[in-house]
Amino acid sequence: MDLLDTTREAFRLLFSGDPTLWGIVWVSIKVSVLALILAGPLAVAVGFVLAHVAFPGRRLLVILVQAFQSFPTVVVGLLLYLLLSRQGPLGALHLLFTQPAMILGQMVIAFPVLAAYTLTAVQGADPRAHETAASLGAGRPRAAMTTLWEVRFGVMAAVFMGFGRIISEIGCSLMVGGNIAGLTRNIPTAIALETSKGEFAQGVALGIVLIVLALAVNVTLAAVQGQGGMRRAWQP
Amino acid sequence: MAAVIEVTALARSWGGRPVLRIPQLVLDAGSSYVLSGDNGAGKSTLLRILAGLQPAQVERFAFEGNLLQLDRLPAPVRRQIGFVHQHPYMFSSSALTNVEYGLRVRGIPRNRRERLAHEALAWAGMAELADAPAQRLSGGEQQRVALARVKVLSPRVYLLDEPTANLDADGRRRVIDLIAQLAAADKVVVIACHDLEMINLPGVVRLHLENGRLEP
Repeated sequence: MDLLDTTREAFRLLFSGDPTLWGIVWVSIKVSVLALILAGPLAVAVGFVLAHVAFPGRRLLVILVQAFQSFPTVVVGLLLYLLLSRQGPLGALHLLFTQPAMILGQMVIAFPVLAAYTLTAVQGADPRAHETAASLGAGRPRAAMTTLWEVRFGVMAAVFMGFGRIISEIGCSLMVGGNIAGLTRNIPTAIALETSKGEFAQGVALGIVLIVLALAVNVTLAAVQGQGGMRRAWQP
Repeated sequence: MAAVIEVTALARSWGGRPVLRIPQLVLDAGSSYVLSGDNGAGKSTLLRILAGLQPAQVERFAFEGNLLQLDRLPAPVRRQIGFVHQHPYMFSSSALTNVEYGLRVRGIPRNRRERLAHEALAWAGMAELADAPAQRLSGGEQQRVALARVKVLSPRVYLLDEPTANLDADGRRRVIDLIAQLAAADKVVVIACHDLEMINLPGVVRLHLENGRLEP
């Protein structure tokens, strides 16, 4: 099958609503979105605290969070595999080769990205925002939420960057998900599998979905940041 | 006159160098104070310390006669102290929502909150700009929104940091008129500035800071 035929077949699979293909897409989106929802609040809180609160060891934590953004996903997968395997300390949970294991892995991968981008956003916030909230009677949590709202475009960028990192990662999903059809097979693991079997059409179709997702995330991010940055003259 | 704030032995250092050293400061109800002094004399620092925004060493701090830790003021006391920055920060919302902020924090129901905020904006001469994005208002308009935002909460103490700095003549005039209206029998108004017109307002007590010390 040449490239043209492969692409034609890929589009046929996409537009015919092929249940296997769209099932794989659904697993990818479900796992990544749930990982973001579960890791997001704590990661954003950690990013805020690191940017805003002085305490011993803060600088070391900032360096660690920033360094862990580029931690190899396959190593995250390996460590989780050791924890979740039958002989591992969390083996009794029987999570290995399940979607919750993939979600857990993607939470670990997304966490430093979310925290680091939130940290940068809060560091860029006007310090008067928090002071104003506090002087108007807001307690610490409320003043923190107000500051995060003031830098919401930066926090949204953190979420999009986190999504971009986990939707396309393969190492961890393969290690702890096991690429089980209809259960833990997501876009990256399916592309790798289909290609290794010589079945290029589904791989190309899934690749197209992944590219569209990545582009959509970046276009949305650019639009959101543009909205936050543009200052048009206000007319009464 | 009853003292609202009493501070004894307040000191603040920066990089080992003392920037404020005040043996005693008493702020009475019904009084307005102008805190004058050169740039760097410590005016803003003193206001920020009293607002609980900056730490300092304080031997004794009393609010309405109650001895308290200045860096750990209970919320009800903290909410009695209103502070306005030299360049007030406007939240990225309308002028009305900015004025509503402190009321929302206090759990005031929406209808009452909106009515009070509209009244405060009308007091500041900003009724027509209630729905304008606050961050796009001029410096003078933002200062007036900030005054409305703090007045609507009716705190016992107003701490205003250089409220007329960088304003044009008209903006200055309007802000001074509003500040003059803040003074009341049970209130304390402290204004850090070197605006002669403000310093010479009738009934205002002048406190002069020189190298971090209050001069008579």
